Amino acid sequence: MTCAEFENALPDFLDGGGGTDLRSHAASCDACSELVSSLQAIMTGAKTLQGAEEPSPRVWNSIESALRREGLIHEPRPARSWHLPSFSRRWGAWAWAVPVLGALLLAGLWLNNPRPAGDRVAAVPAQAVPVKATAPVKAVVAVSPDDQQMMQEVAVRAPMMTAIYQTNLARVNQYIQDAQAVVDANPTDDEAQRSLMEAYEQKSLLNEIALDRSLP
Amino acid sequence: MIAAGKGNLTDRKHRQSDGLSEAEAIERAKQGDAEAFETLYNLHKRRVYSLCLRMTANTAEAEDLTQEAFLQLFRKVGTFRGESAFSTWLHRMAVNVVLMHLRKKGLPVVSLEDTTEGEEDAPKKDFGAEDVNLAGSIDRLQLQNAVDRLPPGYRAIFVLHDVEGYEHNEIATMVGCSIGNSKSQLHKARMKLREFLKTSRAEKAGKR
Repeated sequence: MTCAEFENALPDFLDGGGGTDLRSHAASCDACSELVSSLQAIMTGAKTLQGAEEPSPRVWNSIESALRREGLIHEPRPARSWHLPSFSRRWGAWAWAVPVLGALLLAGLWLNNPRPAGDRVAAVPAQAVPVKATAPVKAVVAVSPDDQQMMQEVAVRAPMMTAIYQTNLARVNQYIQDAQAVVDANPTDDEAQRSLMEAYEQKSLLNEIALDRSLP
Repeated sequence: MIAAGKGNLTDRKHRQSDGLSEAEAIERAKQGDAEAFETLYNLHKRRVYSLCLRMTANTAEAEDLTQEAFLQLFRKVGTFRGESAFSTWLHRMAVNVVLMHLRKKGLPVVSLEDTTEGEEDAPKKDFGAEDVNLAGSIDRLQLQNAVDRLPPGYRAIFVLHDVEGYEHNEIATMVGCSIGNSKSQLHKARMKLREFLKTSRAEKAGKR
């Protein structure tokens, strides 16, 4: 076999093909042996080029912008229905005090004014307000999934506060229910509307305190 | 079997630092999760970008093509059913984007040099003519530079076969040439590279 014939058959030889005559020529001819070694080194070296380079950050930024423009990226939905700012980020190490103070505050508010809607209820015709003032709190107010989630969070993060939160949650729910009853009876009563808003704000505050990462 | 898909098995199993596997990222990307898109990008960016860079030998073009390949992928990720490897799907898409780009630029994806035998520009055989031996390991940067010097047609076939691991029948389909043509061009590309590398080494040796 000549060197020219060998080179013609070289592609198949490099792919593992070729007969005995090719192998014996490669073994006996220095030039062809060197040629085979060189090409094999190139083939091996080629594998090192796979994934060898890193694109600049500009590429991902452009891709992300395009995905957002085209609406392919959806913003994650918030886990909670309340949108108050995070206490933990703002208050840092003092954040542990927030739930305690908040709970005490709500408890204090309740002790001073155990029926926040009561006065307002009195302002409307008695027959229009079917409020069960003496009914036990837990029996009247249904527990929503959000409330359950809140209490689960509290139970995990601050088990010692569970009872306080439970009480305050029940009371604030009762407050909402009473205020709602007044609004339902007198939809045009501004004061009743404000009372209802205030009730929801208190519940929102309670939830923010309970679910915020500031819990110890 | 597409060889290009084999090499990426590790990538597919690999988890990003945020703990998201490729399969999880694909499912979340279908829901429009930004983090999932980024995870998929990070898993495959190097290979796609390197492919684009080797095929074009131009950084700016390679970045644009990488962006285009990923955008095409992400637009269609909702249709991915997992019958084939995700990486195979992505790399095939990237190859198509690059080939389309080369065609638009008017560059021959299949080298015109292949149509005639014994042309002036054909690689020299150099039997026994060189003192420099390439056997053993070849410096990656030197090889990279040599690949960048190849004519676009040779370069495309060499990158697809020797770097990316595609078979000749796959290359023939993608590029639009015969299997024989693909084999022939690959051989010429390797011979050219050998010539470039020997010249480069001889020049370096001469400077010492």
